[in-house]
Amino acid sequence: MSDHDSNGSNISKRNNSYSGCSKYSGQSSQGSYLPLQAEIVDIDVESPNTYLISLALPSGVDFSYKPGQFVMVSVFGLGECPISITSTPTRGSLQLCIRLAGRITNGITDSRIGDVLGIRGPCGNGFPLDRMKKDILIAGGGSGFATLRSLINYIVDRRDSFGKVAVAYGARTRQDLYFMQEYKGWQQAGIDVSVTVDIGDEGWKGNVGMVPALIDKFNLPAGSAAICGPSVMINAVASKLMARDFDHSDIYVSMERHMKCGVGKCEHCCIGPYHACQDGPVFTYDMVKEVL
Amino acid sequence: MKAFLPNESLIPWLKDLSSSLEVIAPVDVEGEAVYQTWKGQPPALVGNTLSSPIEVLMPRTEVLFRYVQDSGRYTFDEPKVPTRIVVGMKPCDLKAVAILDRIFGSEPTDHPYLAKRRSTLLVSLNCTDPGPWCFCAIMDSGPDAQEGFDLALTDIGSGYLAEAGSAAGVLLIKGCSSGLFLEADGSHEASRDILLENARSVMAEKYGDRSVGHLRRAIRSADWEYLGRQCLRCGGCSFICPVCHCFSIADLGVPDGERVRCRDTCLLSGFSRMTNGANPLGSIGERMRNWYLDKFEHLPERTGLIGCVGCGRCDEICLAQIDRWRLEVLDERSRQQRQQHK
Repeated sequence: MSDHDSNGSNISKRNNSYSGCSKYSGQSSQGSYLPLQAEIVDIDVESPNTYLISLALPSGVDFSYKPGQFVMVSVFGLGECPISITSTPTRGSLQLCIRLAGRITNGITDSRIGDVLGIRGPCGNGFPLDRMKKDILIAGGGSGFATLRSLINYIVDRRDSFGKVAVAYGARTRQDLYFMQEYKGWQQAGIDVSVTVDIGDEGWKGNVGMVPALIDKFNLPAGSAAICGPSVMINAVASKLMARDFDHSDIYVSMERHMKCGVGKCEHCCIGPYHACQDGPVFTYDMVKEVL
Repeated sequence: MKAFLPNESLIPWLKDLSSSLEVIAPVDVEGEAVYQTWKGQPPALVGNTLSSPIEVLMPRTEVLFRYVQDSGRYTFDEPKVPTRIVVGMKPCDLKAVAILDRIFGSEPTDHPYLAKRRSTLLVSLNCTDPGPWCFCAIMDSGPDAQEGFDLALTDIGSGYLAEAGSAAGVLLIKGCSSGLFLEADGSHEASRDILLENARSVMAEKYGDRSVGHLRRAIRSADWEYLGRQCLRCGGCSFICPVCHCFSIADLGVPDGERVRCRDTCLLSGFSRMTNGANPLGSIGERMRNWYLDKFEHLPERTGLIGCVGCGRCDEICLAQIDRWRLEVLDERSRQQRQQHK
């Protein structure tokens, strides 16, 4: 762009409030909408309509992220959509949990090992681990559990930094439950894990019912909470927690919104004055309860 | 630096500019003034244009990058940005540029916008003859440009008083063929002051009752369900607004193609609809309320500037005849009265 600067007007000189052309902070100096190319190194099936995809980023790329952040994933020719990161930064590979929902997610899961996907990000704020209390309740419903797995495995890997931790998770049926092979490891790390399904069957010996009902099972001091799932579930869990003296500003909710740019410009993901892609996707309950 | 450009020197000056820059100026296209690449025709510098020159910086559709596949890997190519000069931009649109600078310039910055912004010179034309819908004086964005221009012109009858607002603006005067610009004197400035004061009083008489405070109260109390039923959901007010900046992104082409972005509007029903069908802005009333809240509450919070510059284009284009400041629908009689008043 330097060839333009000599001819063009330089707005940064004229407008002090302007944050500065030279401070471009995209992940690559090439431009904020150019994605990185990440190679698919592994594909696993989590449920009949959900795949776990492991990606390898180009060598030398600094891609540090926090639990709760997301990436904009491209299938060239189909487009780009936001997908939450389901792996933890404390472990190696970048993993995305893709539920078949539309054109792009179908395109992602049609890919083969060795194919590349476009990745922009990480986007969003993630869970504020420095502000959260040590005792944490994690509640997830349906595919919303994907982003919470990042937080749970982060806690497992940094167990000494956290206190009492409980996980409440619900899905529609037994087949829809994600990450079943990991629950045992979480329990061995001293995390209280409770799982429920909306519709039980002969092969299911566990809880049948909604996630909020699981909250009563936990003997957890009033700490922080991380919730992701349908609005009805979020509200029901939050009201149960507030009845147990959780402060509404300690209840963190990861919000889902339609997104296009991921950098707070296109306005698709607005939640009142906030942009879910920049100010979120993690909000305190009091920030978003009006729109849930 | 100030100078005087006589009427007969305007076209020679534009020719001079177009020898080294792409000149974008309003020209007559089937009776409508439209900003286009200037090719020697007389510029249509009278009155405001229905489509904003902001489209130079925020086109209706633009290529973000091209992707080309080779053996399963992609190479990307971003379009080159030409160096351009926009001549005739009205102060209201200039204020819109200031707002967009804050939106697209805030971290994380928007590279495609900034690349175009950096390579575009802005020559504004102060408004001495406000149109029937103009109320920039009420919104503090006109009739004269306060900042953000490289060169500001004022039509004072016999020619244009030119005032430089940047070093590039000084060069626009000094760097052109000799004899085009003459020395400005006190009488030119006195003419400018009289004309601008007249424009201010015209707008104050018509729209002096408009205030952001009143509108904010109206937003809280408006019957959005009723207004939503009246709205024709065409999105015209949004697509024509120089401050509205919603966009969508799509890929065109397999395996090689272009990722493009195009203007979008939060007034359309699919704008916030998610893949699972949930739509946080499901009704047109909610979307209209969101449109107003964004301009008059959220944008000021984020940028320090109100998201309306008083250009009046939304009033002009609204097919449903919604009085956008009273947030009520005009009946035919009051519409006619208003037109006559103008």
